This record gives sequence, C-alpha cells and structure tokens, in this order.
Amino acid sequence: MGRLFAVALLLFVAACSGGENAVPGGGGKIDALLAKAPVYTGQVTPGSAVDRIKKRGKLLIGGSQDAPLLSQLDPISGELTGFDAYLGKLLAHYLVGKPSTELLSATSETREPLLANGTVDVIIQTYTITPARKERVAFAGPYYQSGQSIAVRKGTSGITKPADLAGKTVIVGANTPGVKAVKDAAPTANIVEFGSDPECLTALKQGRGEAYVQDQAILVADASKDSELRLVGEPFTEDPYGIGIKHGDAEFQKFVDDWLREIGKSGLWQDVWKQTIGTVVTGDAPSPPAIAS
Amino acid sequence: MSLVLEGFLNTVALTLLSFCAALLVGLVVAVLRIVPVPLLRGVGAVYVEVWRNIPLLAWLVLFVFGLPEVGVKMPLFWTAFTAIALYEAAFVAEALRSGVNSVAAGQGEAARALGLSFRQSLWHVILPQAGRRVVQPLANIAIALTMATALAGVVGVVDMTRAAQRINLELAQPLLVFTGVGLCYLVMAAGIGFGARVLERRLA
Repeated sequence: MGRLFAVALLLFVAACSGGENAVPGGGGKIDALLAKAPVYTGQVTPGSAVDRIKKRGKLLIGGSQDAPLLSQLDPISGELTGFDAYLGKLLAHYLVGKPSTELLSATSETREPLLANGTVDVIIQTYTITPARKERVAFAGPYYQSGQSIAVRKGTSGITKPADLAGKTVIVGANTPGVKAVKDAAPTANIVEFGSDPECLTALKQGRGEAYVQDQAILVADASKDSELRLVGEPFTEDPYGIGIKHGDAEFQKFVDDWLREIGKSGLWQDVWKQTIGTVVTGDAPSPPAIAS
Repeated sequence: MSLVLEGFLNTVALTLLSFCAALLVGLVVAVLRIVPVPLLRGVGAVYVEVWRNIPLLAWLVLFVFGLPEVGVKMPLFWTAFTAIALYEAAFVAEALRSGVNSVAAGQGEAARALGLSFRQSLWHVILPQAGRRVVQPLANIAIALTMATALAGVVGVVDMTRAAQRINLELAQPLLVFTGVGLCYLVMAAGIGFGARVLERRLA
C-alpha cells in the first residue's frame, strides 16, 4: 500500500506541474549536451515555420510527462528528462539559440489535431511512423528505432516468443504501439490496457495477465529496478519513431531532417542516447537510424 | 468491428448493472440517513461524504490495484462495476433523501397519527410521493454514470472510449472516431432521458 500511495502521489505531482520549461535550471545532463549543440545560422524564409518559431522565441512541443527514459517530468527538479525531451530542447536550441520549449501534454487522440490546427510546432512522443499516419501528418526522421519486447513474472514458463502469447492475457500500455504489436503477433491474445507503466507493472505482478508488452528500453529500465521481472527474447517489432510536423510542410520537415543528420554525424545523438536510454541499456550507443530523404 | 461491439456492450452492461446496484445501495443509505436513530444517521452521512468526496478515478485505481494487495481479486469488469456502483450510490442516496425531505412534514405526522409505524409510513406514504420527485435527479445521475464508465477504460476494461482509442491508434482519425463515439453516448443518454420522462408521467 505504501508503494501504491507513493505512485499515486507522484502521478498527482506530475499532473499538477505545468509544462513550461524555459530555463534549464540545475539540469546537469542537458547543460553538457547544450554545450555541444549546434545553432541554425542559415537563411530563413519569411512566414515559414522556422520564421514563426524564431519570432516567438520558443518551440511548442506536444509530448508526454510520464514516459520513463523518453519524456518524464522529474518531480524534484521540475525538469523534463529523457531522450524525446532532450531532443526537443536541442531542436529548440537549434532554432532559437536557447532551449526554450513549452510542452503540451498530447495523447494519441490529440496529436494529429494539435499539429493540424497549429497548437504545437512538433510532436516528439514515441510517435511511430505508419502509412496511415503519414496521410495525416508529415514525419521528420526516423530519429529512433525502437521495438516492443515481452516481460513476464519470474518463474513463468511457456512464453518464449511472441506467438506464445496466443490465447493468453497480455498487459499493454494504453495507446502504445504495443497494442497493435500484440494483435499482429498473436491475434487471439486477450489485451488488457492500463494507463501508465507503473500500473502495467503492478497489474503484471498482481497476476492480471501473463505477460507485459512494452517498448524494450522501458522494460529494461523496469527490470533493472525489479528482480521479479524477466525479459523474454529480443524486441519482436521495429517501430521507427518520427518527429511529427504539420501535414504538407515539406520545408520544415527537411529543416528538421537536416538537423537530425547533423546531430547524428557530430555524435550529439549518441550523447543524448547515453544520457537517457543508455543508462539502462548496456553496450555502446547504436547508430542513429538512416533518415529517408 | 468486433472491438467496437465489445466496447459498446461493455459500456451498456457497466451502465445498467452499476446503476441498478447504485439504486439498491443508495436506497439503503438514504433510509439510514432519515431513520430516527442517531448512530445509523451517522453511518449514512459518513458513507455519503467518503464516497462522494473522493474522485471516481481514485476509487477505480484503489480498487483495481489496492484490493489484490489485501487478497481480494475480482475480474476487472466487476471491480470497476463495484467501484462505480458504490460511488454513484452516494449521489443516489442524496437525491432520494432530498425527495423525502420535499414531502411535507404533515404527511408523515398524519401517517403516524393514524397509527402507522415508521416503516409503514415511509413505504406507504412518504416514498411514493418522494418517488416521482426524484425521477429527474436520478436520470441526471444515470447520465453522469454513463459518462463516468469511460473511466473504467483507464484500468483495463475495454469500454467504448477505450475501443475508440485503440481504433484511432491505427486509423489516426481522431475527429471521426470520437465523433462516432460521442454519438453513441448521446443515444444512450437520450434514451435515459426519454425513459425518465415516461416514468415521470406514469408516476404522476
């Protein structure tokens, strides 16, 4: 019960805090990254997205506050930390010369409208590039190659590959790519969704399902803190994450693509990876995924 | 398509079952709050204040994740049903109580003067009169409950809203999908409103 209360309290604190993160106060990791970050000095077309963002002096990002390692609000420092969050700050730095970002909490049902009506400039939120979505939004990137993995309670037998999930109850994070991944790998699996990763973990341990399917990086982080959890095999999907941009804005898409290529080449991308996902995934930083021209 | 149907049926079942249970529990609590026994009145008041003043989402999370910690494990649907029914019962109880209070005091006094017991005067004199006055407040609660069932989607129940979110995850057409879901809720709520009007006319 104590742990449950702590989780509830954290959720409450995270929900109450605003999304403004104008000054990188005390965030040591991000400061080191910003020291190496490039700033755009080229031509700016008047009236373009880049022009708009420069004039505003702030990048409006649609994202999450509750994704560990990717975009999570640190309840103590008030800083947004994680791979997606740092990339957002670096992109803001590239655009306006300082890491001025404002995060709007987006969800899978609000992302496309937020971009279409111009509420946010970009979506950086484990946004998997799919053909259906490409008809509604433009994607820069991919900037990260992820995959869904399976975790089980220690001592569980009979689940060694995705097909073994058939007929079993599988816990999945609500609105994550895992929902489709499980449906594709084992159509007869019974999917149960919970709102957040801690809830999914609690549900798995309380026996609400036999397996938990989630992004591998998050599962690795969970397993590093919890000896009851076992990961099964390697990721069984390939989810390329892209930066969502207003549909049809090819100029801004190319701008972000160029920036991604630049930080990939300079090694900054790898540094971001090491500071975030690399703190739980062992081994060297992977090379950034190739960006489709 | 089966997902849509599953979500719709779950929402309908959750709404109907938990409203029926809320009516039963709410009736008991309302009676507790009006009997002339201070202890029982206190129990009724505590029930209403505790259940009504904690958000339903908090109750759902506590029930789904807290109950297994103390050894009570029910299927997710029935856990959500229990939490919603007990929560809405507090509102039902207050609606019923205000209905009873709206019956002129002289009615109860006259019943007692005629020699009816407290229970008899409640069942034969007060409640029938209170009943028709609480139809609309109860319909309001039923509609609020219909909408509240969407919260069950957060704790693993595949309700209509959750089904819509799953579909949207693939289609990336939120306006279309959620307008459709909104219309489904509208039809359900309008049905409740219509039922309430018929019931009101019959009781009048």
